Amino acid sequence: MSARIVVKIDPDIEDLIPGFLANRRRDVDSLKSLVANEDYAAVRVIGHSMKGAGGGYGFDVITEIGDTIESAALRVDGDAIMAAAAELADYLARVEPVYD
Amino acid sequence: MADQITTGTVLIVDDDEDMLRLVATWLNHAGYATHTATTGADALTRIAISRPDVVITDLFMEGMNGLALLTKIHASNPLLPVIMLSGQAQIPDAVQATHLGTAAFLTKPIAKEQLLKEVRQHLATATVRRGRKGIFAERLIHRSALISELIEQSELLAQSDVSVFIAGETGTGKEVLAHAIHDASPRRERPFIGINCGAIPEQLLESELFGHEKGAFTGAHNRHDGLFLAADGGTLFLDEIGDMPHGLQVKLLRVLQDLQVRPVGSTKSVPINVRVISATHHDLEALVKAGEFRDDLYYRLNVIPLRMPSLVERREDIALLLEHFLARHAEKVHGLKKRFEPDALEYLTAAAWPGNVRQLMNAVELCATLTAGGIIPLAMAMRALREESGSMQTLKEAREDFEKKYLISVMRVANGNVATAARIAGRNRTEFYKLLGTYGIEAGEFRAAAE
Repeated sequence: MSARIVVKIDPDIEDLIPGFLANRRRDVDSLKSLVANEDYAAVRVIGHSMKGAGGGYGFDVITEIGDTIESAALRVDGDAIMAAAAELADYLARVEPVYD
Repeated sequence: MADQITTGTVLIVDDDEDMLRLVATWLNHAGYATHTATTGADALTRIAISRPDVVITDLFMEGMNGLALLTKIHASNPLLPVIMLSGQAQIPDAVQATHLGTAAFLTKPIAKEQLLKEVRQHLATATVRRGRKGIFAERLIHRSALISELIEQSELLAQSDVSVFIAGETGTGKEVLAHAIHDASPRRERPFIGINCGAIPEQLLESELFGHEKGAFTGAHNRHDGLFLAADGGTLFLDEIGDMPHGLQVKLLRVLQDLQVRPVGSTKSVPINVRVISATHHDLEALVKAGEFRDDLYYRLNVIPLRMPSLVERREDIALLLEHFLARHAEKVHGLKKRFEPDALEYLTAAAWPGNVRQLMNAVELCATLTAGGIIPLAMAMRALREESGSMQTLKEAREDFEKKYLISVMRVANGNVATAARIAGRNRTEFYKLLGTYGIEAGEFRAAAE
């Protein structure tokens, strides 16, 4: 199993973190079905939202992955989106928030 | 930090629930109350209901985007600060948002401290402005949008030194507004002096305004400073400026241009630092056209024009004003506050009030003084208005009255060009000509006035 990724999070928003990460796990599933249906407009919205919110919550990697997804959706690049979704799934499996 | 402004309400608008929760949590922890909306339409409803002090909105939203929302907010709340958040650092968006009057343009991901700093800064400004607006709200009892808008403008211009001209019928409260502008201005610690230019003979008015030296004229036994000097650092309110004698208008213009006065009988000019607010119930523009008022003085005084609406234009304020003056009377006589019986209240609310708020104030005084019990009956209210009040206009009369005023104002804007005026009014030219004919409005008069 790969190493854990420890991320320092603002304790003020501790209560929000489980919900935020759960929503990103849902995004992984959504991305797969949206690419299968070639709904790149919806993929772009997901990427845009992840890009906007990730860093604010303290997860800069989620912002970077969101940026990749948004750009790939604009290019209608399903493979790049699936690769980014896999990267997101891996990150979510390993990330360990620390409230400090 | 002890000096932080941590009271205030912020509306957050974003179609991304995670962002809404994040920003709301940051703000709540910093001590602010928050409301959230996920669409522009929802945000506009929230603003109307909860009147937030600051709005934070996302730029990129389905349906109404942040720029469209900003435009709609400022159409009805021009001073409400709107902070725009954008997922992309697109320069054209930032430029457009700035052009539309956004308070700040921040790029996501947002840094908590940066956002809180912006909110703090705009809330501090809003708090100061609320305090200043309170000065106006105390003096101009109202619930009408007309007076709210007047207060918005007055509060802003109070911070500058520009000359203000207040138009409005007799008794509407022009001096009350002028005094409130002074009290909300940086000049508030210095005097506010008002003078009725129509009530004093020319020679006396000149001496009253500019002062005189001892022996300057028969009866000038002592030196007199004059009101411009007495109001130094403060505000001079020139009421009924339209009645100022023509000869004195030239002298006043010179004073306003040179910012110095020369007392009657003196050879020396004295610098002055006075803000001038003038007012009249006359149509000053018409007096200028008739050659009775100097156009150069008119333009000097009329840098910012305000208009106190008549009482019938703000009929929704009547009940509130009646209550206010009843309470004031009770306080004055150390008695219990009286009230109008429902029929009397209905009668007074529908009255014509040619004397405006001053007439209403006097009517309340009379009713409260002459009514022995606690309830003022309809008969007393009718007595207070005697025959003057008449009755409320019929819908037809009111509509015709409005239509005529509207046509005149559109024709003025269009400088007498009927095609342009018709386009503004959204009517075809033939129909518009017919309307002008109905009210005897001549297009040529407006063209001549514009030349």
